[in-house]
Amino acid sequence: MSDTNDAGINPDEYEDVWVFIEEHAGEVMPVSWELLEEGKKLTEQTGENLVALAIGEDLEDVAEEALERGADRVLVADDPVFEPYRADPYGAQFRAMVEARKPTIVLIGGTHTGRDFAGRVAVPTHAGLTADVTEIDVDEDGLLQARRPAFGGDILATILCEDHRPQMATIRPGVFEPGDRDENTAVDADAILEVDVVVDESETISEVLERDVGDTADITEAERIVAVGEGVEGDLEPALELAEALDADLAASRAAVDAGWVDGSRQVGQTGKTVRPDLYVAVGISGAIQHVEGMNKSGTVIAINTDANAPIFEHADHGIVGDFADVCPKLAETLATEAVVEVDQ
Amino acid sequence: MTWTIVVGVKQVPDADEVGIDPDTGRLDRASAPAVMNPPDRDALEAALSIKDEVEARVIAITMGPPMATPVLEEAIAMGCDDAVLITDRAFAGSDTWPTSLTLARAAENLEADIVLCGEETTDSSTGQVPPGIAAHNGWAQLTYAEAVEPRPEEGRLVAKRDVEGGHEMVAAELPVVVAVAYGEFEPRPAPLHRKIYAENEFEPVQLTAEDLGIKDEVGLAVSPTSVGGMETVQPVERKGEVVDEIDELADQITEVLS
Repeated sequence: MSDTNDAGINPDEYEDVWVFIEEHAGEVMPVSWELLEEGKKLTEQTGENLVALAIGEDLEDVAEEALERGADRVLVADDPVFEPYRADPYGAQFRAMVEARKPTIVLIGGTHTGRDFAGRVAVPTHAGLTADVTEIDVDEDGLLQARRPAFGGDILATILCEDHRPQMATIRPGVFEPGDRDENTAVDADAILEVDVVVDESETISEVLERDVGDTADITEAERIVAVGEGVEGDLEPALELAEALDADLAASRAAVDAGWVDGSRQVGQTGKTVRPDLYVAVGISGAIQHVEGMNKSGTVIAINTDANAPIFEHADHGIVGDFADVCPKLAETLATEAVVEVDQ
Repeated sequence: MTWTIVVGVKQVPDADEVGIDPDTGRLDRASAPAVMNPPDRDALEAALSIKDEVEARVIAITMGPPMATPVLEEAIAMGCDDAVLITDRAFAGSDTWPTSLTLARAAENLEADIVLCGEETTDSSTGQVPPGIAAHNGWAQLTYAEAVEPRPEEGRLVAKRDVEGGHEMVAAELPVVVAVAYGEFEPRPAPLHRKIYAENEFEPVQLTAEDLGIKDEVGLAVSPTSVGGMETVQPVERKGEVVDEIDELADQITEVLS
């Protein structure tokens, strides 16, 4: 084995781009399809296979959808031990698959689930794991260029993993667009591979006692957003009125979430979610870089703020200097008469 | 029996005080004062709240140069029983792989039943170290924990985890590594007498890479990842138009949505 490098591995033994398809009780997390589309762009450059990987129970539909969305193959680990999600069985199964099949790149959605188990794969395989990635590419040698915000978001750092494999990354949800699903694709049953399940319930070291998942808002899917910041001082009514007139979802800056005015699931920014609605209305948000980073892929940005010097106006297309409690209801009323709500779709 | 609870804390530049270097326009981190990573205060509170309920010994640990000692003093002042400074030049250049290995070996060395950490650090924000510690030791893990409940009679710790779209209650066998959700615990104030003790009398235990038996398994050489480059983020071009009348703003919005 003369081809091994200083890390004791031969990178040439590793091939294919893997995308983890995260599903819970049959529901696929949107980030999975965003990554599959992004993974496709990588394999178009490297000429490798795009492999989707699903772990859970009753995954037939998920596997077929992955093929319809462009995966060349799907690896499926199907067993009741994986439902609901737990870090230890997921980590052990994923690790075994990596060790047996040696992918060169592994992309995992940076959800709480993805960020929870990724280390249980990367640590024992001594893989490179980059967190919270917002841009990916490969160079001419197929080396992954994983870019992530650093120092509060002013800097984009490129992280490399030159000598270890696989090159793993957790990728922030919402930054990439999902591709189209072609339901006319003739699904090749041979492209779905059931792998050996290496985990037994008796070996698990954790137990889900209760799981309550349902109606918490997923603002990453919203087409219109009204977001509130510290400036609203706990008074959500005017912003909600505007949101209703616009048929928009409510979101918030970190300050508004930390103050307890809005639930953390609605937080936009570096420590919250990345959103890309057609319309983003920032109400009483100063426009700190950490917030802007989570919303600067929005189509049109509107700012409402009392401070004419607030940075948010530089990150907005249109703005008005004024008291939100005054502006929001009047704007809502004007919009209602113009009936913008019915225009879309 | 007495539980040993190890809390990982880290010294970071104060994110609120990081200024811009007037010459380069770059962030000037060097001049910012060093503070305890704010999410670690939640982890300390979680540890001390467990100690309020069960017999336990709480030990704060940090990895860093001797000048990081003030974060350990702060932990002692809050109520930790002891503190360990893991310091060695061999750690230089470590990414999250050897960092979590080092903390994993320290936790093993201290015979930890529970390791508590903050969700992530404000200076590198990977959140990869707590699961990394669990993975190195093959221990259970509970991340994004918003509440913790000790169940000594079962030898387990239960956490309320924040998951996309809701919450779950998960019980994990000890030893377990817990990363607590930032902002979910109200760190208790340090009493004055503890502060005086921490600053004047307390000396942390020191451990080196050799003490932990990992002299050749840490640092730059074993770190799988490296920084290939840095670039300043270019702001997205926006029109930046400010209007005077609400009607004008409504017109702009109507145009966008039509």
